[in-house]
Amino acid sequence: MKNNGIVLEFLRRPSAVIGLTILALQIIAVIFAPMIAPYSPIEADPFASLEAPSVAHWLGTDVSGMDIFSRIVYATRINLLISITAVIVAFAIGVPLGLLIGYYRGLLSATVMRLFDFIQSFPVFVLGMALVSVMGQEIWNVAIVLAVLFIPMFARLIRAEVLSLRERPFISAARCSGATDLAIMFRHILPNAMTPAIVQISISIGMAILLTAGLSFVGAGVRMPTPEWGLMVSIGAQQMILGVWWVALFPGLAIVLAVLCFALLGDAAREVADPTARRR
Amino acid sequence: MSMTISTNQEAPLLVARDLSVKFDGADKPALDNVSFSLHRNEVLGIVGETGSGKSVLARALMNLLSENGRITAGDVLLDNQSILGMDDNELRRLRGGRLALIGTNAKSLLDPVETVGSQIVRVLRAHRGGSKRAAWREAVDMLSKVGIVNPERRARAYPHELSGGMAQRVVIAMAMITSPQVVLADDATLGLDATIQVQVLDLLVNRCRELGLGAIIITHDLGIVAHFCDKVAIMREGRIVEIGPVGKFLSGPTQAYSAELLEAAKVRPTPVVREARETSPDVKRTALLDVSNLVKHFPIPGTNEVVRAVDDVSFSLARGETLALVGESGSGKTTIGQCLVRLLTTTAGRVTFDGEDLTGMSEREFRQRRRRIQMVFQEPYVALNPRWSVANLIGEPLALLSAAGSVNKTKRIRELLDAVQLPVRLADAYPHELTAGEQKRVGIARALATRPDFVVFDEPTTALDIRVRAQIIDLVRDLQAEMGLSALFITHDLNSVRSLAHAVSVMRHGKILEYGPTETIFASPQEEYTKTLLKAELPIEQSQVQRERAERMLVGEMR
Repeated sequence: MKNNGIVLEFLRRPSAVIGLTILALQIIAVIFAPMIAPYSPIEADPFASLEAPSVAHWLGTDVSGMDIFSRIVYATRINLLISITAVIVAFAIGVPLGLLIGYYRGLLSATVMRLFDFIQSFPVFVLGMALVSVMGQEIWNVAIVLAVLFIPMFARLIRAEVLSLRERPFISAARCSGATDLAIMFRHILPNAMTPAIVQISISIGMAILLTAGLSFVGAGVRMPTPEWGLMVSIGAQQMILGVWWVALFPGLAIVLAVLCFALLGDAAREVADPTARRR
Repeated sequence: MSMTISTNQEAPLLVARDLSVKFDGADKPALDNVSFSLHRNEVLGIVGETGSGKSVLARALMNLLSENGRITAGDVLLDNQSILGMDDNELRRLRGGRLALIGTNAKSLLDPVETVGSQIVRVLRAHRGGSKRAAWREAVDMLSKVGIVNPERRARAYPHELSGGMAQRVVIAMAMITSPQVVLADDATLGLDATIQVQVLDLLVNRCRELGLGAIIITHDLGIVAHFCDKVAIMREGRIVEIGPVGKFLSGPTQAYSAELLEAAKVRPTPVVREARETSPDVKRTALLDVSNLVKHFPIPGTNEVVRAVDDVSFSLARGETLALVGESGSGKTTIGQCLVRLLTTTAGRVTFDGEDLTGMSEREFRQRRRRIQMVFQEPYVALNPRWSVANLIGEPLALLSAAGSVNKTKRIRELLDAVQLPVRLADAYPHELTAGEQKRVGIARALATRPDFVVFDEPTTALDIRVRAQIIDLVRDLQAEMGLSALFITHDLNSVRSLAHAVSVMRHGKILEYGPTETIFASPQEEYTKTLLKAELPIEQSQVQRERAERMLVGEMR
């Protein structure tokens, strides 16, 4: 009953509806890519290089003659996979880590925090490029790099909540009722500390999509011929000057839509989760 | 239904006539045909429980309702001028100029980044103009009139440098500086220590009487009404159910609801569980809890100094006995309670429970004893995890019992709900869905879940409405009688001490000043501080001075 209320509240927001619609389109693209895409995403056709959008090639072809529409559809798989995996891993590691360093405040916690400072003090792209070039340009390496970048974000969010929650009287009361440290952390504090981190998931996925594309664009992400939005924009950018606009534009739009989708969902989630907006 | 009693010949200063207020989206009006009048030199007390509309009334009198509230009917006349017909300029002059409001929690009413002196100056100049220098002199003068020592220096202080009582005086000074005609005090002394409360109210009422102002004191404390007010209005659900002279109300309220309030506010007769003590002659030797030379220091960050929160305290408690620890905020009483349940480690001293020394125990060893030593926390809402249902909250301590199967657990939760008189349907409710009284009951049920031998009650009756407070006192009394519980009551509510405790320890600055049986302490206190503390308790009866004043007013009316 309580959860239904939250879902309805969420669905009442236009930003949530638009976000969910785009998300649904992306999910369809991920699952039914082979049925939707008229061509193979990685087969070059030297005779159809740089064709403008037409009935045969809806969004045109690139310099190697690969169908752009097909590549965009298939790229949804790669881009969403990398981004969502990275964020889930970051969440799964960052949340318990934040809980621990917020609850136990000692030398170890301080060390972890300094490590976070270290990670976050690098410009994201510089660090990303460095890590990917060390580990190799694999899809999974990109995901790992993004996860490393996002762990401090989740951990800090949770830690900030834990720091204030642990001083609340209901924690003292739980201790008097015989709750152990583990029970206090996971059963009392965590449920109260999760909201901002859950809201952050969606926003982080949007950021991850942008970063994945960005890394590929600068050549530190996945390599050709893997269909990936950022890589496609990068290749298309070389032809922009020749007046061939479709090669870069359409994958660019796909990135915009995907980021917008998760940003909208995150906004709606934050509004719903904000206790001041929802107090009965 | 006009029940205004004219206490003198003059026309009334402030009149509310059939005042009704409704908030958007509410099905019932917040104020429903409220009528009363206030004369010069008169103090009206408005009493009501949470949600009775007394604060809405205060705002409506100043035409200062929040945006979703509207005055739907009636009128407010100040000196025969309707405040509803006033334009913005007149309203500005009215608010803070002719009608001054003194709110709760003075510290949050003051601007933290400006000295209190310049805040008072700003109020004065907004209403009267004049030079800054003259206004400053007047502000300092007013601060000394409201009893602030060294006003020159205090005027240059920022709000965080003042104590709660002093901040409240500053707010009073701010209200008085414009020489208003009517002063509205909306729970102005809530949260202050009893001795400070009496000082602040004395000052407020005396200033009003000296200047011949009208004053309205909004409160839920009938002791304040008995002591300071000439007339009282009892509010319920936005209506005034009874209004009349205080003396008449105290001797015999005419409405059932006001009679109920009055009854609830009175002290319960003392007899609690005497038997335990009387049947066992060697009480001292079998003391359940023995605290000797307890010391708790808190280090002051950045220095080598410490705060001596608890400074060499000793007491003992027999089985079935209830000891009250009374004292003002900062006296260290809550710290003692937290040391006993091991929320704090003790700096020195010894706590013996049922023959075992608790102070030397490891956390793991102590956990075995938690079943027997429980605590009821002060603020009911914040001491309950907002994400847990009532059943889970009450069931949590049952994990301390080794053989608690899930069937037993459900059964025990039901028993506990019964014991604290909560309906079973609330088992699935969450804390925010409960009233303050219900939350308090959940807190008590939690503490009793493991059938403890000893319970620390931290301020069990503060911040509760009159009737709820009485219900909680009755509940605790019954439970104690049934279970033969030993208890430590930490409170500054002397009224509840009389109803609940066998013995009283008076604390100040971390030390116990005086200890003795409840009746003895209340009848013949030895220490000067205890006497001050007891004097600050306002019994629900009119003092001689008040009665004489009431008679004089009556005579004046006849002349």
